[in-house]
Amino acid sequence: MKKSVRWGAIVAAAAITSMTLASCGASGGSTTAKSGDVKSIKVVIAEYSKDHTKTFWDAFSKTYEKQTGVKLNLQIINWNDLDQQSSTMIQTGNVPDILNENAYASYAADGLLYSADEVLPAATKADIIPAFVKSGTYNGKFYGMPDLSSARALFYNTDLFSAAGISKAPTTWDEFTADAKKVTAIGNGAVGYAQPLGPEEAQAEFAIWLFNNGGDFKKNGKWTINSKQNVATLQYLKDLSVKDKVTQNNPGGTNRTDGAFSLFEQGKAGMVVGFSPLQGALDTQYTGVKYAIAPMPTGDNAAPQTYGVTDYLMSFKKKGNQDAVKAFYKLYYSPSQINTWIKAEGFLPVTTSGLAKFKDDPKLKVYLDTLPNIHLTPTDDPEWDKIKLTIQQNIGLAVAPNGDPKKFLDDLQAQAEAGK
Amino acid sequence: MGGRSRRQRRARGTASVAEALLWLGPALVLIVGIVLYPAITLVATSFGTYSITGLRKGDAGISNYTNFLTSPDLPRVIGNTGVWVGAVVVLTVLIGLALAQFLSKEFVGRRFVRWAVIVPWASALVISSQLFKLIYDYYHGVLNQLLLSLHIIQKPIDWLGDNHFTMASMIAVGVFVSVPFTAYLLVAGLNAIPADVYEAARIDGGSPWQIYRRITLPLLRPAILIGVVLNLIYVFNSFPVIWILNGSNPGFGNDTLITYMYKLAFRSAQHDVGLSAAAGVFNVLIILIAVGVYLRLVNWREGKEA
Amino acid sequence: MSSSAVMRTVPRSRGRGWKNARKWVLPIGGIAVMVVFLAPYVVMLLDALRPSGEVLATPPAFLPKTWTASAFVQVVSDPAFQNWLRTSLVVAVSATLIVILVAIPAAYFTARFSFRGRILFLGLVVVTQMFAPTSLVVGIYREFYDLGLINTYTALILTDAAFNIAFALWILQGFFSAIPKDIEEAAALDGCGRFGTMVRIMLPLTLPGIVTAVTFTFIAAWNEYVVALTLMQDDALKPLTVGISSYVTAYQQNWSQLFAASLIAIVPVVILFALIEKHLVGGMTAGAVK
Repeated sequence: MKKSVRWGAIVAAAAITSMTLASCGASGGSTTAKSGDVKSIKVVIAEYSKDHTKTFWDAFSKTYEKQTGVKLNLQIINWNDLDQQSSTMIQTGNVPDILNENAYASYAADGLLYSADEVLPAATKADIIPAFVKSGTYNGKFYGMPDLSSARALFYNTDLFSAAGISKAPTTWDEFTADAKKVTAIGNGAVGYAQPLGPEEAQAEFAIWLFNNGGDFKKNGKWTINSKQNVATLQYLKDLSVKDKVTQNNPGGTNRTDGAFSLFEQGKAGMVVGFSPLQGALDTQYTGVKYAIAPMPTGDNAAPQTYGVTDYLMSFKKKGNQDAVKAFYKLYYSPSQINTWIKAEGFLPVTTSGLAKFKDDPKLKVYLDTLPNIHLTPTDDPEWDKIKLTIQQNIGLAVAPNGDPKKFLDDLQAQAEAGK
Repeated sequence: MGGRSRRQRRARGTASVAEALLWLGPALVLIVGIVLYPAITLVATSFGTYSITGLRKGDAGISNYTNFLTSPDLPRVIGNTGVWVGAVVVLTVLIGLALAQFLSKEFVGRRFVRWAVIVPWASALVISSQLFKLIYDYYHGVLNQLLLSLHIIQKPIDWLGDNHFTMASMIAVGVFVSVPFTAYLLVAGLNAIPADVYEAARIDGGSPWQIYRRITLPLLRPAILIGVVLNLIYVFNSFPVIWILNGSNPGFGNDTLITYMYKLAFRSAQHDVGLSAAAGVFNVLIILIAVGVYLRLVNWREGKEA
Repeated sequence: MSSSAVMRTVPRSRGRGWKNARKWVLPIGGIAVMVVFLAPYVVMLLDALRPSGEVLATPPAFLPKTWTASAFVQVVSDPAFQNWLRTSLVVAVSATLIVILVAIPAAYFTARFSFRGRILFLGLVVVTQMFAPTSLVVGIYREFYDLGLINTYTALILTDAAFNIAFALWILQGFFSAIPKDIEEAAALDGCGRFGTMVRIMLPLTLPGIVTAVTFTFIAAWNEYVVALTLMQDDALKPLTVGISSYVTAYQQNWSQLFAASLIAIVPVVILFALIEKHLVGGMTAGAVK
């Protein structure tokens, strides 16, 4: 009995001591110093992969600290939780100095961010591929600094293609449907096309198809979500599963990572829209799958469009952190850093110097050629951040057997216009 | 064994508030400091207008509440919540009662059975849910494979994607992960029943079922009560099972109030933490009412005194 | 009903047929129960024992085509995993200790004494349980940020303790109030003070309740996710639940390592439970007064 009482006292005392000690520490060494420059910055990074993300950023932090004498507090957060965590930080007024996210425009619209004029060395800005400068520019100022990019292309299983008697990748939607039917006809669980329209990344799947049908979300500053091309595209995507029955079961409830990609990785899907990380998985873990990569087939007989994505490294305006942030960007965009990172994660460059560096990599050639003309979603419009969520959450219902593609896009257009 | 004498012996002494503070102080400090304060923050958030980024833009009055209460998906979500909570709690408590009875019998190897039953409870819900998502999967799930090879079904079932099965599949997992905790709560309750009570009943010549109904169940009442109330709260607030098993499905057709609340904040077109906070406050009121109704139904006070 | 009668275990007597049958019926039932509760985790084990690429095989195979323990080896030798394991152990053990030390006196007192504000206190305890942790996380973050405790074990330990006191208090209170008053009075006559009575007489009698509360608190702290995710920034300070989520990301999936790590994470809980499980039984018999 005595023992437990003493233990209680020790634990309680320890708790109280550590509380007081820690709070003393905080008032002294906080990042919001009253005058002068910050002693540390908080950098919140999205986790792309367990193997590479932490390794790179740990090494980066060391270099940064050595160069600047400013401590870099690194926090790596899983993509699934990133949105919630960044929102928590902003709600409580504890914004990071640098945040890695897949959207920036809403933060810029809220007046939270530094623009490139304030923190990005001119030479660095000049090196960034113009398409990404454009997508990172809100209201005439460049806020969304790209960290890396990816581009989508059509992956097809060459074994399944030869078994189905198909000699080359489809270039038009009619060919695509015909090829998907042939692959499906092989039987034994073969699926013509693995179509991920579940909540994870449905906007990407929809975007790449509509870009290759002459459609877009926004044209000349006006929302065109329910344009005739877009409605035709979504109807086509719905027909693939409902009418032609060439997709896997329930595409509206299939996510990309553990659904469509895994079918392709298991050699069960004839075609899937993929990107370089899928290629990485196929070349290391799923070596039994023989595949090739081709540009997307088009529905409008125009040249194929490449859908691209970039994530952002935005910086938050805080007292005294401007120089530290500037030093961060300067170091990040130095070729030895950014290219190491992009290569490790298997993504694509965002700088002209990076393009030059990677251009000899045969595996990346198919994407790199299209990178300067890459077609992005309207990430420069804060309203898009909500449109994207609506597409992710609800497009699966629109392509279900009882779904109504036109009504879905009409509603979405109304939502976008109301937000303006 | 008259109820009257029992009651008298359980009567409480009185103590001063000062002495109470001495005994309850530490618990009070932790609960008020760490649970109550954030709860107040939640209420404050529910009256604010927020940008998609989480930045507070100003006061919202009660508009978050009116927007939440008039959202078209709400009736469906409330219905789902009722089905989810009702089914999981009832099944969990019934199975838990049977399992507890079984686990308090003496038999060879009981210890190993008890260790086994702890496993679903010991495993993190996020991981168990991931596991079940794989097991249920249409293409690579072993459940379909098993049922097909036993010729119980002729073609694979989309357990999580087909709306006829989604809720039932999630309920099965909900029960599976809630039973161990409930069973052990009831095992502890069973073991607190004095053995002489059974002896007396047996001398009176009661059948096992009579003894169970007339003696065990009434004396187990406090444990069952705690079990039901806690399960009501935990199952209502259970996030990972539904979030992960329903994670590939579009819309809000299988969401409960908790996952809906999260989606309002981070995954829906609204993307509004103020609206979500209003939902959070609403949720607490709903549980409060549910628990209150339950306690009223079982005549909590009378049960305690009779 | 004297206290000595309460303390005796009474052998259960039923028909002779049942007596013979239960020798084998109960163990067989036990095996059935084990199969039901372990089957999913056997699937998990088999997935951890195959190459990651085989986990999502279509159609699935029950047994691995290639058996390999490399996922376990990689996880165990991963310094990050060792850090997460340490955090989880420190946090769960500390939080459990605090909960038990804080909840026992409170439960005993509320079970045994009336005082002004008793109902208010009990009401507060129940109501604070009703908030979903996800909806409280912003407030918790703000609070610990103001205290300068972000990214410390202390913050996580205090939060896990605070969130589990209610349960422990509730269940223990039930056990305390079930103990007949005369036992306590006898102890008081023997000259035990209030605190001594609680520790020497009441605690042994409520052991099943304490075991339940310990198990519950430990598991809840062990498996807590959203608060740890929010409060802990350094990778080395993250607990297992948060850490192992990095095995499967949108761009790289290592299913076998995820499952190997998850299985290892179950082990400490089962060990803890195995150590205290026998006290789930026979609190009443173990607690003889003299």
